[in-house]
Amino acid sequence: MRAIRAWFLRVGGLFGKQRRDSELAAELECHLQMHVADNLRAGMTPEEARRNALIKLGGVEQTKENYRERRGFPWLESLLQDVRFGLRMLRKNPGFTTVVVLTMALGIGANTIIFSMVNGFLLTPLSVRRPEQITALAIQQKNVPVGVSGFSYPEFIDFRNQTDAFSDVFANVISTVALRADDRTDQLSVSYVSANFFAALGLRPAFGRLILPGDGEVFGQPPLLVLGYSFWQKRFGGDNDVVGKQVRISGRAATIIGVAPRDFRGMFSPFEIDGYLPLGAVAMEESSDHFTLDRGQRRILAFGRLRPGVSVPKAQNSLDVIALRLAGQYPATDAGIRVRVIPEKRARPQPYANDIFIVIGVLFLVFAGLILLLACMNVTNVVLARALVRQREIAVRAALGAVPSRLIRQMLTETLLLALLGGVSGLALAGLTNRLAPSVHFPNFPLRLDFAFDWRVYMYAFAAAVFAGIVSGLPPALRASRADVNSVLRDEGLTRGGKHRLHSDLVIAQIACSLTLLITAGLFVRSLEHIEGTYLGFNPDHVLNLITDPSQDGYDHARTVEFYRELEDRIRALPGVQAASLAGSVPIGSFPARTPVLSESQPADPNRQPPSILYNTIDPGYFETMGVPLLRGRGFTEGDNETAPPVAIVNETMARKFWPHRDPIGERFRMKNATGPLVEIIGVARDGKYQTVAEDFQPYFYVPLAQNYVSRRVLEIRSRVPPESLAAQVQRETHAIAPDVSIVDLRTMKQSLEGGTGYFVFRLGASLAVQMGLVGLLLAVVGVYGVVSFAVNQRTHEIGIRMALGASPQDILVLVLRRGVVLVIAGVLVGLIASWALGRTISHVLVGVSSTDPVVYAAATVMLSCVALLACWIPARRAMRVDPMVALRYE
Amino acid sequence: MANDKSDVWQGTLALMVLKTLEAMGELHGYGIARRIEQTSGDLLSVNYGTLYPALLKLEQEGYISSEWGVSDNNRKAKFYKLTRAGRKQLEKEAREWEQTTAILARFLAPGEVSR
Repeated sequence: MRAIRAWFLRVGGLFGKQRRDSELAAELECHLQMHVADNLRAGMTPEEARRNALIKLGGVEQTKENYRERRGFPWLESLLQDVRFGLRMLRKNPGFTTVVVLTMALGIGANTIIFSMVNGFLLTPLSVRRPEQITALAIQQKNVPVGVSGFSYPEFIDFRNQTDAFSDVFANVISTVALRADDRTDQLSVSYVSANFFAALGLRPAFGRLILPGDGEVFGQPPLLVLGYSFWQKRFGGDNDVVGKQVRISGRAATIIGVAPRDFRGMFSPFEIDGYLPLGAVAMEESSDHFTLDRGQRRILAFGRLRPGVSVPKAQNSLDVIALRLAGQYPATDAGIRVRVIPEKRARPQPYANDIFIVIGVLFLVFAGLILLLACMNVTNVVLARALVRQREIAVRAALGAVPSRLIRQMLTETLLLALLGGVSGLALAGLTNRLAPSVHFPNFPLRLDFAFDWRVYMYAFAAAVFAGIVSGLPPALRASRADVNSVLRDEGLTRGGKHRLHSDLVIAQIACSLTLLITAGLFVRSLEHIEGTYLGFNPDHVLNLITDPSQDGYDHARTVEFYRELEDRIRALPGVQAASLAGSVPIGSFPARTPVLSESQPADPNRQPPSILYNTIDPGYFETMGVPLLRGRGFTEGDNETAPPVAIVNETMARKFWPHRDPIGERFRMKNATGPLVEIIGVARDGKYQTVAEDFQPYFYVPLAQNYVSRRVLEIRSRVPPESLAAQVQRETHAIAPDVSIVDLRTMKQSLEGGTGYFVFRLGASLAVQMGLVGLLLAVVGVYGVVSFAVNQRTHEIGIRMALGASPQDILVLVLRRGVVLVIAGVLVGLIASWALGRTISHVLVGVSSTDPVVYAAATVMLSCVALLACWIPARRAMRVDPMVALRYE
Repeated sequence: MANDKSDVWQGTLALMVLKTLEAMGELHGYGIARRIEQTSGDLLSVNYGTLYPALLKLEQEGYISSEWGVSDNNRKAKFYKLTRAGRKQLEKEAREWEQTTAILARFLAPGEVSR
């Protein structure tokens, strides 16, 4: 306690220095006077008395110094001194300061932006009670990676009832619905939540009430709707009267009961959920018959709140036991399943095999780190050059008794100050970039790009600045502190030797870092190119998609069919329209239907769930409109209607998987389950992409709309004119036929392809990587140019002598360039090795390109070498034009 | 030091200061130094360069407090006095010191420690 009290007083002692000093002086003076007076009384002469007193006091200045050391913290005072001195030096050299601060700002800014993204995606905790207790439960079926499927409702209930490791197990199903309110329809991303969802998360409504355990998981009840906060703001203007409002969801009456808290955006981060419905309402969806009973319908994303004191491995053990029990109980569906307990942050937006988002996040942080290193090396260069100018000053300090550690501290203080200034500018730069970043639109889900700066981002920027200050300042400081005081002071000569070595190493390191960045950027660009060049299985040019769902607007089966017939006719008649046809879904960008498929010729394995296959319901014109090639057999005709036998067209992959080495035409399979309709295959279509542009080929089949009624359909319009130009007309025609049918979505195929399931992720990745590559290149070039120019300046004298002795300008050019070339080659070699090593770790992030793609390696090497040599050539040219007379008089 | 008197070393100086203040009440720095020297029978010489930092330390630790006042011969001086915590600390340190000296005395007494 005493020690702490004394410590505080000492901290206090750092301030009010002058007053305290004068007080001490007064006290000592008083002491002296008393002593003198006593001495006089003892019979000394005045001079003698004073002299004796002074000797006894033992040096006023020393006493004061001792006293000061005790009063405050001497190290802190010398630090403040260093800071003051550093700031003065920086003010005196505004050019130097500006260059270094800007370089640091670039490096730290890039890091801050990338980190704020990673932070927003992966690190920001959910705004719920005790978020660290929340874990994602990922069900994993035998031989299938994590994250391919969720829980079925009966499985979820079994696990929830049997585990005691969690205080709550809760769930949601992510989907989209159409909300019709006030004669307007909106697409909502929704969570169907289990009854205990909000209670388990410990959330309170912003307004009204949330879905309560009492609302139950009763299936088929008229649903209650809780709005997401920002959707409430956006759609209803934050109107309180919204509670109790009657609306229609997917054609059914529903009631809005409340608004979720503002900071809670759902359990599908980083996507934002617009509304919450009771899990029981899932049954409203067409594809969800038997949702409560079918152990094969795995759509539920489950979470658990760990009981206090229960660790993840302990919870894992508990679930493993239950999984084993269930496997014995339901071998057909649950054999070999496991449930993995994953901390919530590592399972965003949902559990994924091999943590792909975390890998990408770390990868970009590494890139950003390389950029910071490049920036640091440039700063080191500049500081080294300046250390040479300050050599005399430093030598004088050393001669006056400054120990090396003191010199190092003082020089480090300067670079740290620069780095902190750079950090502040970098934060400003990053903040500005974030604000200017264009908002990104996703077709299906509102991605919330919320890269707000919280304390983590500030801490990271601060850490980056400190790191940058030390890394860039330490080598010059160490060098300067070791300088030979004698030789510097004696002849003012420039010490040579180690300096060139350090400069060379810096150039090599910069070239290597920059090359690594460029190669990785190149690999991302090639990935994007590959994806964009991938054959999609259809022709996406000149297609406009119109999605409607008349059943949501109260249309029955007959009126819906009539509406579509009329719509198709009128759109086909529009000028500029080449063809139009209807389908249940559109490839890439909307949810395709799935069904279990049981091949008739293969006996069903009782231990295995029949595979769930994607399919589309189409009309006879679909293949022609979309340009899907039919490889064998025939397409659908008007004759394939309700009265005709059910038929299907499969894709190549499905044909190969289900009927290997056989002609699939004429084979039959059942949809849905063992008693479902038996469908005969009449054709084989070309493989394509169905859900995302980057997926592998997967089984897929088509069935006729006439035999498989759906109310939600896409009208795919192929045009001769730019499809955007038709949009207004299509909208008018739709309203002319049925003013009460709302348009769910109207956009071109190209626009859909830019979305989240299309090229968006790849474009974002590639553009980030390219920008980082270019920043890296810029920094490296500036660095190389700086080092070579500096070397030329240092050697002006030598060059003059060489020329005086008869060297031609060309010889000088070669002399200077040779060194540059050697360094560039060395840097490129190191960079190639580093890229190769890094490439191996990112190979599974790349699509359709090897991590050692020779084109990328060659292009990056050539590009960097050319630019780097140009950076050498400019100073070399200057060296060539050195006038020997001037150069010799130089010193 | 030019004279043959022993210097007072740090740890004991604090104890002497506290004891002096206990005996004398309020006293200024010069008075404390003189008093210590006198009490020691002029065997000790107080180095003022260490006295003032020691006073500061004691004050920071809360054992003594200081106040500007006027001395006997009308001089402005800083007076130190013992606080309650200082009194306790003095008791404690005195006890410890007695123990230490008792132990040392046993060591130094001839024939008591077996070789």
